Amino acid sequence: MRALLDFITKYHHWLLLVVLEGFSLALLFQFNHYHNSVWMTTANRVVGAVNAWEQQAMRYITMGEVNEDLMLRNIILEQNNEAMARRLTELTHDSTWTERRQARLLADVNMLPARVINNNVLLRDNFITIDRGTADGVEPEMGVVCGTGIVGIIFLVSKHYAIVQPVLNSRSRISCRLRNSQFFGYLKWEGGSPLFATLDDIPRHARFKVGDTVETSGFSSVFPPGIFVGKVAEIENSDDGLSFKLRIHLGTDFSRLQNVCVVQQRFHSELHDLEQQADSIAQL
Amino acid sequence: MLLTSLQRLFWMVVLLAVQMLVFNHIHLFGYVTPLPFVFFLLPFPLGTERWNILLWGFVCGLLVDITTLTPGIGAASMTLTAFVQPLLLTLMVPKDATEDLRPGYTTLGSRAYFYYTALLTLLFTFTYFAILAFSFHDLIDLVISFASSWSLTFLLCLIFEGFYTKKHD
Repeated sequence: MRALLDFITKYHHWLLLVVLEGFSLALLFQFNHYHNSVWMTTANRVVGAVNAWEQQAMRYITMGEVNEDLMLRNIILEQNNEAMARRLTELTHDSTWTERRQARLLADVNMLPARVINNNVLLRDNFITIDRGTADGVEPEMGVVCGTGIVGIIFLVSKHYAIVQPVLNSRSRISCRLRNSQFFGYLKWEGGSPLFATLDDIPRHARFKVGDTVETSGFSSVFPPGIFVGKVAEIENSDDGLSFKLRIHLGTDFSRLQNVCVVQQRFHSELHDLEQQADSIAQL
Repeated sequence: MLLTSLQRLFWMVVLLAVQMLVFNHIHLFGYVTPLPFVFFLLPFPLGTERWNILLWGFVCGLLVDITTLTPGIGAASMTLTAFVQPLLLTLMVPKDATEDLRPGYTTLGSRAYFYYTALLTLLFTFTYFAILAFSFHDLIDLVISFASSWSLTFLLCLIFEGFYTKKHD
């Protein structure tokens, strides 16, 4: 209060100037029609411009939320598309036990939206941090996808956060297949451009071409089958010459990753434990 | 203090009467309108309190507005000129000047008083015409009106100061 009084005492002539000028301008706009109309026109224009900026800003602020919804919708539609494609295949030819199993697995998938809070694409072994953890039902070895394709596999989990081992990690190996021919191999990243990865172990007798779609095979408890991975960019021979090595243009742009989804399969834990038991028995 | 206020009131009435009866009817070539009532602010002494001169300027401008039916224009421009007057005077006066120094030909010197009057009338006339036009649509007309009216106002203020000095001496 004392400081306010000191301020007023010190700058009283400024305050008086503002008051008197304000009063003068009020008289000006109140009693002069010309000034009043010019003022109102200008004020309306300014208010209109400010309102337009405000609307643009609000639209920009809510864009993240809209984007998240669209991504989720996109994933759901992709899954529906896959399910319908499977159903069509089932109806048009004799379904096998594997196909029926995959369709069942797809029905049990739950998509948990998450936000990327840390990301890197410049290292040899990159990791991504997301804002979901055990409190949200996230477990290690669960798949992570985004609207444009796969992202990686959950590596470590705390209560509220999880570390994802993305495709852009030298230790990542994800089972994928060619959509048209169903031949499968392992997706690896050998460093370099974050837009390209390599699909190994495609047999010599497989028939495919540049531009063919690569998707998840579903031969694990991590990803359901049919999730888009990328497109074949180049075809090379493997080092031993026994299989093909495909350079895949990834659908996911990891350098702009913001919103992802954790793939939660209902029987994930059960399936994962069973597969680990099988591995440990085989090693004995 | 009371005597000074009465003297100021007297000068204000005289200037307003001259403005209302004579200069408000002058519109040379449709452009030149002298506004010498701004002279009222020029003789305020160096030590005048800021709020005092602001109020005098505002009241004078408001009375001119009432006589010319242009509410706000004279009040706003006179208030701004009254705010700048002490600042400008401080720059013009000698360093050893006393607080009761009244700006004039003898106290400031002809040259300094000439600049002092020129700058204050320039600020006042510009503000007055800018508010009056309130648009730069007819910029050339505005500049001609402003420049010619300022020249005449400036000249009249210099003449008024001659009368004022004689009366007080």
